[in-house]
Amino acid sequence: MFSEKVTLVNPQGFHMRPASLLVGEVGKYDATVTIVRNGAEIPGNSLMAIMAAGIKCGEEIEIRAEGAQEAEAGRAVVDFIAAGMGD
Amino acid sequence: MEFKGTAASAGIGIGSVVVVEEPVLEYVSSTVEDTAAEAERLGAAIENYIEYTNEQAAVMRESVGEKEAEILIGHVVMISDPYMKGEMVKLIEGGMCAEDALVQICDMFATMFEATGDELTMQRATDVRDVKTGVLAELLNKRPVDMGTLPLGSIVVTHDLTPSMTAGIRPGAVEAVITETGGLTSHSAILARAMEIPAVLSIAGVCHRLADGDQVIVDGSTGVVTVDPTEEQLEAAREAQAAFIAERAELVKFIGCRSVTASGEQVELFANIGKPEDAAQAMERDAEGIGLFRTEFLFMDSTSMPTEDQQFEAYKKAALICKNKPLIIRTLDIGGDKEIEYMGLEREDNPFMGFRAIRYCLAREDVYRTQLRALLRASAFGEIRIMVPLVTCVDELTAVKALVKRYMQEFDQEGVAYNPDIQIGVMVETPAAAVIADLLAEEADFFSIGTNDLTGYTMCADRGNDKVRYLYSTCNPAVLRSIRNVISAGNAAGIQVGMCGESAADPMLVPLWIAFGLGEYSVSATSVLATRKAISLWTKDEACALAEKVMQLKTATEVYDALQEAAR
Repeated sequence: MFSEKVTLVNPQGFHMRPASLLVGEVGKYDATVTIVRNGAEIPGNSLMAIMAAGIKCGEEIEIRAEGAQEAEAGRAVVDFIAAGMGD
Repeated sequence: MEFKGTAASAGIGIGSVVVVEEPVLEYVSSTVEDTAAEAERLGAAIENYIEYTNEQAAVMRESVGEKEAEILIGHVVMISDPYMKGEMVKLIEGGMCAEDALVQICDMFATMFEATGDELTMQRATDVRDVKTGVLAELLNKRPVDMGTLPLGSIVVTHDLTPSMTAGIRPGAVEAVITETGGLTSHSAILARAMEIPAVLSIAGVCHRLADGDQVIVDGSTGVVTVDPTEEQLEAAREAQAAFIAERAELVKFIGCRSVTASGEQVELFANIGKPEDAAQAMERDAEGIGLFRTEFLFMDSTSMPTEDQQFEAYKKAALICKNKPLIIRTLDIGGDKEIEYMGLEREDNPFMGFRAIRYCLAREDVYRTQLRALLRASAFGEIRIMVPLVTCVDELTAVKALVKRYMQEFDQEGVAYNPDIQIGVMVETPAAAVIADLLAEEADFFSIGTNDLTGYTMCADRGNDKVRYLYSTCNPAVLRSIRNVISAGNAAGIQVGMCGESAADPMLVPLWIAFGLGEYSVSATSVLATRKAISLWTKDEACALAEKVMQLKTATEVYDALQEAAR
């Protein structure tokens, strides 16, 4: 299983646009991606659940990935978040 | 057969009736046995909703714009979330019906969005609820009528024309609108006039008295609806329609002209707007400025208090469209008659005499500070003036001026640009303000008479109440004396006096305003040219002679008759 911590850097946090871009990123790989924040697990393929979590700039979260392409998926998601999610 | 209603938007419409009813999305909760079939029913509803919404977005992109279409695309993105659907299916598998599962999960997400404390996400809660309503309509097979696909020559018959319904209307497809409720100043009327669609309002039960396919003539100038017209009636209506269109075309001649009386007195002719983008239409119609920009939309269209930046952007946008023409922005005018959850306004027995407008703003300095700071920042981008609504005493105005001064000092320290000479004026709409106009004029930079509320408050008559509407007329001597007093007091003090109610555009009343010395007329964008024409038809002497005669009359009926007889 892939697991790595990353800090949100985009000032607006997970609002609709970055959240849907992230879900798009997750969809490219054969892996189940989960965002872990304060012990709570948020499905990485759910725009609604990610937005509802209201994760803000400066927060550290953990990205987990399991499946055939877990390493690629996890890496892509972590890099995407670290790069500011297009904001 | 004929119906008579309120003539709310001029012009003649000829066509066939389409009754548009907002669907009632009620259902009875049930438990399901065949959970697989129920999940499939939900899946089908969601697919239909996505297909329908995508089509709507395509129409919207053509007829309104990319930005509006994006909102609908966002709804599709939300409902396409596999996890959300999965949660609904889980509930269905536990025996819940699809409707309940949908409502429960959507409400849960909407509540979570609202709890995030993040401005952008909180606003999305409204979208989640829109999605819920849309899918529920599919489940119940009660899709709202799509105004965008109405055939040419449609006469829309509906209970009330709401802004959301109007969004889909293609200009040209709808010949006329008939509603069951609403007066001259209702949303329905304002929207119909803005789109130049003839409208007759307030015909009780018309949704049931007319049926799809009925042939009707709608005369938005007289308020008469003729059902199943004879060939002669149709012929006459076609002629009247052509004449009306020609008259409208005639007004085009007044584009680019100054607004002057026949004897050469120049006045200013402004327009009223409700959104920044409306300023563009007002400028197209040759308005010389904006005499009333209502800011309520910022607060109504939001699920949380609009931030200083959001307000600043809206005011700045309007200022840039107006270039350096005057832009009078009215600060928040809201009270217990409007349900805006986040504002903490309680229901009141008598909201129009209660905690509203400037009273609310002065009590909630946090709210007012945000708006006044946004206005000051935007004042660096145009000729913005601040107008204070519902003023009843001098203290309210001095309090606002003190606040503005304090925020200017904040900006001096922050190094933010603003117009240090920004004008602050009073919207004169209460009898109290009219009576102390001379005192207010010493403190105010300008007046703008809000005739709609001034008439209502002076006559103590709600224009929406059928039983007392007969009292609601600007022709009442009490109202006319009030208006004359305000204009004289303002002129004596050397400040600009304008008028921003419906009466400013009434050609019958225009000679009175000329005689009283009104300096600025602010009318709906579609009335700008007609008002310029109305002003051009009178010399000051002629207007004064008529006013002298009219102001001696004792009743509203006598005044009305005299003005009608003299009307040009």
